[in-house]
Amino acid sequence: MKIKAQYAMVLNLDKCIGCHTCSIPCKNVWTNREGAEYMWFNNVECKPGIGYPKRWENQEVYRGGWEMRRGGLRLKAGGRLHKGLNIFHNPDLPTIDDYYEPWNYDYARLIESPQRKHQPSVRPHSRLTGEPIKLKWGPNWEDDLAGLGETGAGDANFKNLEIATYLQFRNVFMFWLPRLCEHCLNPACVASCPSGALYKRDEDGIVLVDQERCRGWRYCVSGCPYKKVYFNWKTGRAEKCIFCYPRIEAGLTTLCAHSCVGRIRYVGVLLYDADRIAETAAVASDQAVYPAHLEILLDPNDPDVERRAAAQGIAPNMLAAAKRSPTYALIKAWRLALPLHPEFRTLPMVWYVPPLSPVSSQVEPSRELDTIDHMRIPMTYLANLLTAGDEAPVRTALKRLSAVRQYMRTQRVEKGSDTEVLDAVGLDEETVGKMYRLLALARLEDRFVLPTKPVQDNDNYARQGCCGFGQAV
Amino acid sequence: MDLLYTLVFTVFPYLCLTTFVVGHGYRYVTDRFGWNARSSEFLEKKALLPGSVLFHWGIVFTFLGHAGGLLIPQRVFDFFGIDSQTHLTIAYWSGLAVGLAAFVGVLLLLRRRLTHPRVQAVNRLNDTITIGALVVVVGAGIFNVIFGHFNVLVTVAPWIRGIVTFTPDAMLMETVPLSYKIHVIAAWTLLGFSPFSRLVHIWSLPLTYFFRSHILFRRRVPTPWAPRSIR
Ligand code: HEM
Ligand code: SF4
Ligand code: SF4
Repeated sequence: MKIKAQYAMVLNLDKCIGCHTCSIPCKNVWTNREGAEYMWFNNVECKPGIGYPKRWENQEVYRGGWEMRRGGLRLKAGGRLHKGLNIFHNPDLPTIDDYYEPWNYDYARLIESPQRKHQPSVRPHSRLTGEPIKLKWGPNWEDDLAGLGETGAGDANFKNLEIATYLQFRNVFMFWLPRLCEHCLNPACVASCPSGALYKRDEDGIVLVDQERCRGWRYCVSGCPYKKVYFNWKTGRAEKCIFCYPRIEAGLTTLCAHSCVGRIRYVGVLLYDADRIAETAAVASDQAVYPAHLEILLDPNDPDVERRAAAQGIAPNMLAAAKRSPTYALIKAWRLALPLHPEFRTLPMVWYVPPLSPVSSQVEPSRELDTIDHMRIPMTYLANLLTAGDEAPVRTALKRLSAVRQYMRTQRVEKGSDTEVLDAVGLDEETVGKMYRLLALARLEDRFVLPTKPVQDNDNYARQGCCGFGQAV
Repeated sequence: MDLLYTLVFTVFPYLCLTTFVVGHGYRYVTDRFGWNARSSEFLEKKALLPGSVLFHWGIVFTFLGHAGGLLIPQRVFDFFGIDSQTHLTIAYWSGLAVGLAAFVGVLLLLRRRLTHPRVQAVNRLNDTITIGALVVVVGAGIFNVIFGHFNVLVTVAPWIRGIVTFTPDAMLMETVPLSYKIHVIAAWTLLGFSPFSRLVHIWSLPLTYFFRSHILFRRRVPTPWAPRSIR
């Protein structure tokens, strides 16, 4: 057993209000530069919808991630030889139009205009060419289901569902999906890079692009099934979410998580068995990936794991943080959080608590828990999104969320304690208390449990300008 | 006359070779962030496909052809039963095929670079010069293949070998037609210029990818060569 530590994030979709606050500090700090205007390391998508870039979930289009082929785990876009032969023109690379062409307005016209009969107006100008452009797509173009009638059918999560039904106004449903790099255990971006410029940090699993080693072969961009590596068209290099590592090293959480208005984000340490990654990613069926992924996440309170981790050089403060990790509780202990598209087989480390939604009015369920199957957001849709179509884990998570609400209601409103509802979903009162605290109260110190890095040097002043995306050598 | 030949066909090639070697070292040390292919596929994908694919396959095999044909002496070919005439015939037909591919490709790339607004937006003068120089070199080369019919095996080839083995003989170029002279002079110029252009990407050909493991981990270790203050 080779134990490694990794930061993981959990997002509670049940509470995301779609405010996009998370995207803004990220943009301001990391991608506010020429060549990066179109990049959103963190973006919030409105579901159903085709997302950013368009149709990123459809691997028939971009051929990202891994698949089982000829009895083994292979990059879907083709192996090393295939990459070598296509290096002069990568057939799977999206273009900037799949994201959107960034633009500016010529605001100066508003103040410099001479007096006229009509108000002056501003026109959008492309940030690429400076020419006036007609806006046909942009960031969050689909927010609040805008254009669903046109694009909705392209949403890959409608697999096995009658799309037309859900595009009718009375059946329509909606929730938000904030997305960032998954800092995968089996990252396809790293495996796709011919130069070896992308790597996982050994100590915490953050996936980074070495800006001085990237030669612009652009295979990481098409290789990532989540389309979370971006191509800087100005510098000709790849850039991606860096999990705010300069903040993380100081014991602060990421900007998106810290700024989250809905307080839906949790960041903590997970321990995993690195020896079993290859076999986990290569299980036979797509639906078996999620359970196998859970398997290799180790219990930090198991004395055996603890002993081995310490012996293998996991820092004591990292271990201490792992024991209090909110992500371990949500992912493994309580099974509330689920991975995003595990069938891509990259073993993502940003997980999602599925959202509850209003119960459709047509039905009158006898028991509270039965409402789960009559919610507005179809179970199949959530399962296609989070568990490769397996509804059982989604149902468990939703039932547990619902049970916590119901139990707390009996306590607060009815001044009783309905433990029957808890028994039905396999929870006890103590656990529900903890869930309530973590999910509903969601205090800062519970949501983010991050150790500060042991001091490796005390010369931060000299390091100024040495990390990030600058021109520094 | 002799002096002119020495200047143009001995001194100048060595100047270019020196710039080539020293220039790459200098660029790698001072501008590693600028060392890449500067792909523009993300902005324009359609016109790139025929241009880039034709050009690259053409130029790569042209490269190999030149290396094989010019650097390996005719003696070696004779030993394998390929006489000078056969050698020239092979060179003619293969050169024609790959050279034409490269020439058509580079013309397509030039057109794309000059006409596509998005490519224009990221274009640098340096890129235009690079493509322009390639058009001249490849163009003169393909002109020679089609119209030249000159035996290079006893003139240009030994001259090149003389340069790389440090026994230069400029007078070998005396009988060579003008179009060949233009080709070699342009090629040396491009070689000397290449360290300061996007062509540095050629030397980053990622061969190690074929042998390394898929997933890479990196650990933070002090690098002995880093300045003390940031070790
Ligand atoms: C040896 C292997 C080589 C590889 C792997 C390679 C790879 C590439 C790649 C990935 C691009 C970017 C294409 C894009 O997406 O825009 C490129 C562009 C280019 N390469 Fe190469 N290249 C190689 C050899 C060469 C050689 C030998 C030359 C010329 C002597 C050359 C000249 C160029 C030029 C001029 C461009 C710019 C094309 C344009 O955008 O106008 N390459 N190369
Ligand atoms: S989600 Fe992140 S770590 Fe995973 S493949 Fe994409 S870029 Fe790489
Ligand atoms: S800040 Fe939080 S609540 Fe708002 S969109 Fe982002 S993740 Fe959702």
